[in-house]
Amino acid sequence: MMSNLVFLPIFIPLFVGALLVFFNKKHQLTMKISYLTVILNLGVSIYLSYYVFKNNPLILETGGWKAPYGIILVADKLSVIMILSVNVIALAAVIFASSSVTSKMVQHYFYPLFFLLIAGVSGAFLTGDLFNLFVFFEVLLMASYGLIIIGGSKQQFRESVKYILLNLFSSILFVTTVAFLYSVTGTVNMAQLGERVAEVEQQGVLTGIAILLFVVFATKGALFPLYFWLPKSYIVPSPVVSALFGALLTKVGVYSMLRVYTLIFSHKLELTHSFFIWVASITMLIGVIGALSTSNVKLIIAYNIMPAIGFMLLGIGTFSAESLAGTIYYLVHDMAIKAALFFLAGLLVWHAGTSNLNKMGGYIKTSPLLGWMFFIAALVLAGIPPFSGFIGKYLLLRGAFDEEHYFAAGIGLLSSLLILFSVIRIFIGAFWGEVKEEPKEKVRRSGLAASGFLIAISIVLGVGAEWFYPYIQSAADSLIDPQIYIDFVLKE
Amino acid sequence: MEIVMSILAGTLFAAGVYLLLQKQLLKIVLGTALLSHGAHLFILTMGKLNRGAPPILEKGITEYTDPLPQALILTSIVISFGVTSFLLVLAYRTYQSNKTDMMDQLRGTDDE
Amino acid sequence: MLHFYILLPFLAALLIGLSAKKVNRIHTGWLVLPVPAVLFIIFCSKLPVLAKGKIVQSTADWIPSLDIQLSFYLDGLSMLFSLLITGIGSLVVLYSIFYLSRKEQLVHFYVYLLLFMGSMLGVVLSDNVFVLYTFWEFTSISSFLLIGFWFYRERSTYGAQKSMLVTVFGGLSMLGALILLSITAETNSIRMMIANRSDILESDLFIPILLLLLLGAFTKSAQFPFHSWLPDAMEAPTPVSAYLHSATMVKAGLYLVARFSLIFSGTDEFFIIVSGIGLITLCIGSFLASRQTDLKGILAYSTISQLGMIMAMLGFGTGVAILAAIFHIFNHATFKGSLFMIAGIVDHETGTRDIRRLGGLYTFMPISATLAFIGAFSMAGVPLPVFNGFLSKEMFFDSSLKLEQSGGLAGTFAEWIPIFAVLGSIFTFVYSMYLVFGTFLGKQKTDQLEKKPHEAPIGMLLSPIILIIFVIAVGLLPNLINEPLLAPAVAAVTGDLPHTHLAFWHGLNTPFYMSLIVIGVGALLAYTLKRWQPVYNKIPGKFSSDHWYQTMVNGLLKSSKSITEFYMTGSLRLYLSIILVFLVVSTSIFMYYTDGFTISFDDLAPVTWPEVLVGFVMAVAAIATIWMNQRIAAIIVIGVVGYGLSLLFVFFRAPDLALTQLIVETITVALFLLCFAHLPKLKKSDKSKSEKLIDLTIAVSTGALLTIVAIASHSSKSFKSISKYFVDNSYKLGGGDNIVNVILVDFRGLDTLFEIAVLGLAALGIFAMIKYRDKGDMNQ
Repeated sequence: MMSNLVFLPIFIPLFVGALLVFFNKKHQLTMKISYLTVILNLGVSIYLSYYVFKNNPLILETGGWKAPYGIILVADKLSVIMILSVNVIALAAVIFASSSVTSKMVQHYFYPLFFLLIAGVSGAFLTGDLFNLFVFFEVLLMASYGLIIIGGSKQQFRESVKYILLNLFSSILFVTTVAFLYSVTGTVNMAQLGERVAEVEQQGVLTGIAILLFVVFATKGALFPLYFWLPKSYIVPSPVVSALFGALLTKVGVYSMLRVYTLIFSHKLELTHSFFIWVASITMLIGVIGALSTSNVKLIIAYNIMPAIGFMLLGIGTFSAESLAGTIYYLVHDMAIKAALFFLAGLLVWHAGTSNLNKMGGYIKTSPLLGWMFFIAALVLAGIPPFSGFIGKYLLLRGAFDEEHYFAAGIGLLSSLLILFSVIRIFIGAFWGEVKEEPKEKVRRSGLAASGFLIAISIVLGVGAEWFYPYIQSAADSLIDPQIYIDFVLKE
Repeated sequence: MEIVMSILAGTLFAAGVYLLLQKQLLKIVLGTALLSHGAHLFILTMGKLNRGAPPILEKGITEYTDPLPQALILTSIVISFGVTSFLLVLAYRTYQSNKTDMMDQLRGTDDE
Repeated sequence: MLHFYILLPFLAALLIGLSAKKVNRIHTGWLVLPVPAVLFIIFCSKLPVLAKGKIVQSTADWIPSLDIQLSFYLDGLSMLFSLLITGIGSLVVLYSIFYLSRKEQLVHFYVYLLLFMGSMLGVVLSDNVFVLYTFWEFTSISSFLLIGFWFYRERSTYGAQKSMLVTVFGGLSMLGALILLSITAETNSIRMMIANRSDILESDLFIPILLLLLLGAFTKSAQFPFHSWLPDAMEAPTPVSAYLHSATMVKAGLYLVARFSLIFSGTDEFFIIVSGIGLITLCIGSFLASRQTDLKGILAYSTISQLGMIMAMLGFGTGVAILAAIFHIFNHATFKGSLFMIAGIVDHETGTRDIRRLGGLYTFMPISATLAFIGAFSMAGVPLPVFNGFLSKEMFFDSSLKLEQSGGLAGTFAEWIPIFAVLGSIFTFVYSMYLVFGTFLGKQKTDQLEKKPHEAPIGMLLSPIILIIFVIAVGLLPNLINEPLLAPAVAAVTGDLPHTHLAFWHGLNTPFYMSLIVIGVGALLAYTLKRWQPVYNKIPGKFSSDHWYQTMVNGLLKSSKSITEFYMTGSLRLYLSIILVFLVVSTSIFMYYTDGFTISFDDLAPVTWPEVLVGFVMAVAAIATIWMNQRIAAIIVIGVVGYGLSLLFVFFRAPDLALTQLIVETITVALFLLCFAHLPKLKKSDKSKSEKLIDLTIAVSTGALLTIVAIASHSSKSFKSISKYFVDNSYKLGGGDNIVNVILVDFRGLDTLFEIAVLGLAALGIFAMIKYRDKGDMNQ
C-alpha cells in the first residue's frame, strides 16, 4: 500500500485547507495547525523521496483504475524532488507568515488558500495525466487568484485583473490543445502520449501542437515574450504571497515543460528545442534588463524571475543529461532563493517604509542581519560559487558549451553579471551610504528566520552539492530516456 | 461536420479574442465566455461527432459517441464557471476601487 | 596539509567574527597577526622541498561526481605567491594595527581581510580549475567589501561597485574559458590540462578560450582598458591598497597567465595579445601616473603600469623574460608595498594625500622620507646595486631585446618592443621622482595641512622598514632568493629550471644604455614636469577608461529603462497582443516547416442542416457581441451563443453536457445581469481604425490558426482512443450505465474532486472580495 503515500502530499494540504476555512476567525489556532501541517507534509515528502530513490518510483492508480484509463499519480525521481522542494518552501512561508500575516488576512482565508495552492502545485508535480495537469493548474491558479487580492487594495485589484485574464486565456488554450492531442493520439495519459508520439515520430501536426503547448507553459512559466504580465502582478500582494508566487508558480510551468518536452515531444529536437534555446537566450537577457530598469526593490526581484527561467529552459533546449540535471538543480535552487529574496525585499520595504531604492540608505546600521542576508542571497542568486546557484549554472553552461550553443552560453554568462549588478545595486543603495530616512519599523524576527532558513538551504545545496547532485543527475538521466518512464507506467 | 464545427469554434475564438483586446473590462469578460465556449466546442469536435448513440449504455447498442471528451468538457465547464464568476466579481470590485472599468486607465506605474 | 593552510584564515575569520566583540582590551589586529605569520613560516619551511624539484600536494573530496575536487598543489609559482600573500599579509596586518583606530569596525575589517587571504591562497594553490574559480570570485567579493569598508562614503561605494563589476565580468568570462578548457582537455585539473595541451592547441576553440581566459586575467590585473577600477579602489583603507591592490590580488591575473603559460605560451596569439596589452598598459599607466594629485592615485597608476610590464614579459615567454617577470613580481611587492604604507603614513600624519598640499615633509618625517626615496628609486630603476627594482628592470630590457631569436610574430615585432619598454620606463622614472620629490622635498606648505606633521610611531614604520630591507638586501644579493624562490617559480612557468646568475653589472651592454636613456630623459622630464603637466588637461575626458565605464553603466541602466518601458506599459491589450502574435507566428512557422497541416475528408460526420443552422446563428451572435453597446443586447447575444452550444450538445448526443451547459449558462447570464447593473454602461469603442484593424487581424488569425490545427488534428487520428475501455467497462467495472458519469465519478474521479476544489476556491475568493467591500483599502 506504499502507493497511497503518493496522494498524501496533495491530500494533506487539501484536507487541512478545507478544514481551516471554518477557523478563519481563530488566528492562533490556524497558525498552529498550519505549522503542524507543513512539518507533517515535509516529513511525508522526505519519506516519499527516500522511498523513491531507494526503491523505485511509485504509482498511485486513483480509484484503482490502471493507466492509461484512470488518472495516475506518478512519484518518479523528478516529481519527488519537486515535492520536497515545495514543502521546504511551504515551511519557510509559514514561518514568515507567522508574523506578517495579519488577523484580517487570516479572516480572508489566507491559510486555506495557501494550502490549496500547495495542494495544486503538488498535484501538478505528481500527476501522470495531461488533462489532470490542467485541473491542478486550475486549482493552483484559482488559489493564487484568491491570494493575490487578499488585502484588497486598488493596485491589487488592478493587477490581478490582468493576471487572471492572461492566465485564463492560457488555460483555455491548454484545454484546447489537450483536445487536439487527444484527437491525434487517442489518449491523455502522459506515458501513453509519450509512447504514441514516439511511435509516429512526432509526425504531422504534432509539432504544431507541441508549440501550442509551449505557449501555454511559457505563459505560466514567464518566458519572453509572454511574461509581461508577471512582474507587476507579483509585487502587489503581501510579501509572503509574492514569495510563494515567485518560488512556485512559474516553476510549475518549467516543470511541465521539463516533463512534456522530454517525455512526449522529444523527437524533433532540431526544431523545437533549438527554438527553446533562442527563447531562453532572449528571456535571460531581456528579463535581467528589466531588473536593471527600475529602482523599485520588489520589482527588481520580480524581474529576476525571468533570467532564472531562461536558464532552466536553456537546459531543456540543450537536452543532454548534464543540462537537464542543470535545469533541475537550478529549479530547486531558484525556488529557495527566489522565496528568500522576496521575503528579504518585503522585510526591507517594511523596514524602510518605501520600496523606492533611491529613498533608502545606510540600513546596514539599523538592520545588519537583514543586510548581510541580502548580500549572501545576492551572491547565491548570481551563481557565485560555492553556493547553490553555481552548480546549476555550471551544469547548464557546460551542457550548452558541450552541445555548441555558444551564443546562448555567452548570454548566460553575461546575464549572470547583470543579475549580480541588479541585486548588488539594492545592497549598495539600501544598506550602504548615509541614512536618508529613519527606518519605519524593526525587522521582524520570524521573517529573518524564514529567509535565513532558505539561505542556509541554498548554501548547503551548493557547498554540499555532492549530497544532492547524484540524485538530481539520476533524475535527469531518467528524463533523457523517456522509455524508462513509459515502461514503468504502462507495465502490465 | 467536424470541419464545420472547427470553423465555428474558431469563429467563437476569434470573436472572443477580439473582445479580449478591448478596453472595457466588461467586454473582456464577455470575451472570456466566448473563448470557453469555443474551447468546449473544439474538445467535442475532437471526439468523433455523431457516430453512435449518446454514451448511455443500452442493450443492443454497441456504437456510442466518444464519452471521454464529454467528460473532459464537463469538468472544464464547471471550472470555467468558477473562474468566470470570480472574474465578474473581481471586475466589479476593480471598478469600485479604481473608479474605472477601462483597461487603459488601469496600467499603474513602477513607483507605488 | 595544504587544505589546512587555506582553511586557517577562514576559520580565523569565523572565530574573530564570533568572538572578537568580547575581546575589547586589545586591537583586533593582534589576534589576526599570528594567522599570516604562522602560515608564512610554514610556507618557508617548505622551501627546501621545492628546491629539490618536488612539489607538495593534497586532495580532498568536494564534488567528486562533477570532478570538482579540492586538490591543491604547491610548486615554485604557488610558493612565490603564497609567500607574498602571507608575508606581505603579516606586514600589512601589523601596519594596520597602528593605522586603523579602534573606533573603526575592526571586526568587519579583519574578517574581510582574512576571507581575502584564504581565498587568495586558494587561487594560487588550486589544481582544479573550478575550485580556482570559486576562490577567484571570493577575492573579488572580499575586495568589494574592503573597498566599501567606509560604506557611508559615496566614493567608496562607487569604487566597490566598479571593482566588483569589472572583476566579476572578467571572472565570468574566465569561467567560460575554464568550461571550454575542461571540455576540450577532458579534465578539470590544471596539470592534466597542461599534459593535454595539444588537444587545446589544436581545438577550433583555441582563440575563444584564450581570449576569455585573458579577459579574466586582464580585468583582475587592471590591464588596459580595464584598468580604471584600480584607482577607484584606492578608497579602501591604505593597508588594503598595499595588500590587495598592489601586492597580491591584482597579481592574480599575472598568476593566471603564468599558470597557463605552459599551454599557451609560444603561440602567436598569446604573444601578441599578452605582450601587446602589457606594453600598452605599461606606457599608459606610467604616463597617466604623473597626472594624479592623490598620492594613492599615483601609486595606483604606477601599479597598473608595473603590472603591464610584468604582463608583457609573461607574453614574451622566453626564459629570460619569465625570470625577469617572476623577479619583478617579488620586487614590486616590496617597493610598492612600502610606498603604499608611506603614503598611508603621510595621510595619517598630515591629514591629506593631495600632493599639491604637500611638500618639504623631509624635515618632519625623515625616516618615512628615506624609506620612500629608496622605494621610489628602486621603482624608477636607478642603477645602484642597492635597488632590486633596477635589476629586474634591466632584465626586462634585456628580455625585450632577445625576442628576435624567437620565431613567428615575436620576431616580426621584436624591433618595436624595446622602444615601448624604454618609453614606459621613462615615465616610470618621472612619476617616481614626482612622487617623492613633491612630497618630501621642495617648499613646505604646512599652513595647508590640517595637522602639524610629525614622524609616524615606530609600530607603523616597522612594516615599511622591513620591506625596504628586502629591497636593499635583494638589490645587493639577488642570488639569495634566486635559487630557492625564483628558479622553482620560473620552472613552474616554463618547464625548465633556469641556471641564471643574477648580477648587478653586466658590462656596458644595450640594456645598460637603455637604462641611461631612461634616467637621462626621465630626469629631464621630471625636472620640467610643472611646465608640461598642462598637457594632461588637453587629453579629452572621453578617452579615459573611467569615462567609458560610466558611459557603459549609465547607458546600460538608461537603455534598460527605455527598453523595459517600451514593452512594460501595463496595458493588457499589448501583453495579450504580443502573446497572441507569438502564438500565431511561432505555431504557423512550425506547422509550415513540419508539414503539419493535413486535411482528410474520410472520417467525417455528414453535414446536417439543423446543426449548421444553429452553428451559423451562434457565429453571427458571437461576432455581433463586438458591436453590442446595449447591456441587455450584449447579454442576449452571449446567451444565444451559450444556449446554442447546449443545443449543439443535444444534437451531438451529449445529453449530460447539454444539461450542464444549460444550467451553467443560465446562472452565468444571471451573474452577468447582476454585474451589469453595477458596472458602467458599455461604451462604443474609441479606438482608431488602425488599432481596430490590428485587433481584427490578431483575432482572426488566432481563430484561423486554431481551426487549422483542429482540422489537422482531426485528420491525423493515428490511434484508437482509450474511450473504448470506458464503453466496455463502464457497467462491468464502474457499475453505471451513463458512461460520462462513470468517467467523472470513477475513472477520472480525481478531476472531479479538484474541480470541486476549484469551485470552492472561487467561492472563497468571491466571499472574501465581497467582505472587503466596506472596509476599503487595507494594504499594509
